[in-house]
Amino acid sequence: MKASELKFPGLECIRPSEPEISGGYTSDLLSDVMANLKEGDALITIQAHKNTIAVAALMGASAVIFCHGRVVSPDVLEAAAKENISVFVSTGNQFNTTCAFAKALGE
Amino acid sequence: MKARIDFHIHSCLSPCASLEMSPRTLVACAKAAGLDCIALTDHSCVENLPAFHDACAEAGMNCLYGLEVSTAEEVHVLCLFDDLDSALTFGRIVYSHLPNLMNDPARFGEQPIVTADEEVVGFAEKLLINGTDLSFFDLVPMALEAGALCIPAHIDRPMCGAISHLGFLPDLPYDAVGAVGEVDPEIARRWPVVRFSDAHHPSQIARRYTEIETEAFTVPALREAFQRLIEK
Repeated sequence: MKASELKFPGLECIRPSEPEISGGYTSDLLSDVMANLKEGDALITIQAHKNTIAVAALMGASAVIFCHGRVVSPDVLEAAAKENISVFVSTGNQFNTTCAFAKALGE
Repeated sequence: MKARIDFHIHSCLSPCASLEMSPRTLVACAKAAGLDCIALTDHSCVENLPAFHDACAEAGMNCLYGLEVSTAEEVHVLCLFDDLDSALTFGRIVYSHLPNLMNDPARFGEQPIVTADEEVVGFAEKLLINGTDLSFFDLVPMALEAGALCIPAHIDRPMCGAISHLGFLPDLPYDAVGAVGEVDPEIARRWPVVRFSDAHHPSQIARRYTEIETEAFTVPALREAFQRLIEK
């Protein structure tokens, strides 16, 4: 699925990018993300900072969805642009967002 | 004697720290800021401690040798030694508990190992900001048994603090707890509260420090000095 096609209530795409989203991984522990995220996944997390983008990029994530309407700082968006990663903000928590994301992805 | 201490300072070895943070530079900044004793605490790696030791000796700065361990829960804990060899032994064990994921300098920053003369002699290979596989509950007794002062860092921060990641501060025999802002009065009655800079850039050294009354800068003397900070 393209970033532009990913839509559900409470979700806003603040930086679209090309790579296809093929799955998802929900975690707030970055060492866990580094051990388990699969290439093409969207990372669903509340860790809204620059390291998250670096970790997501290292693992080949195509998108990051920040939950709870977390404010995303410009340095996060800059890093995401450099890494070609889509950035979304969701007003829902990790559970709601994951459920809605799975539905949108048809899983 | 009264002493101003800052026991949470990163060198250029930490990927998130400025490359300007050579041991000699950070010691000079600490001296200029009027600190009496400092500790170097890079993320889960002790390989810049020998250079730090030399830089402190050269400048006549009192120091402790430390590291900031990220536990399996990604809680940051300061482990501080008063002798270099114990710190190196303990620190290398901690490093062996990091996952075998190598640093990607373009994404996370360089991790240079330097001499006191700022010569780069190598790079730490594993990504140092990763969490180790040591649980918080195992690391605290492990550090104390090794002879370190054990201090959970910035317990009140939303990222990598004990309260945000564990839900509450477990009742363990820490020597002190590190804080950035105000702490729960109940915590302040139970443990000494210390404030350190967590400097990643020269300008941040001593932005927070703690004033203590201590006999010496040894682990036992500092342990006693910390006890006097407990709010009655």
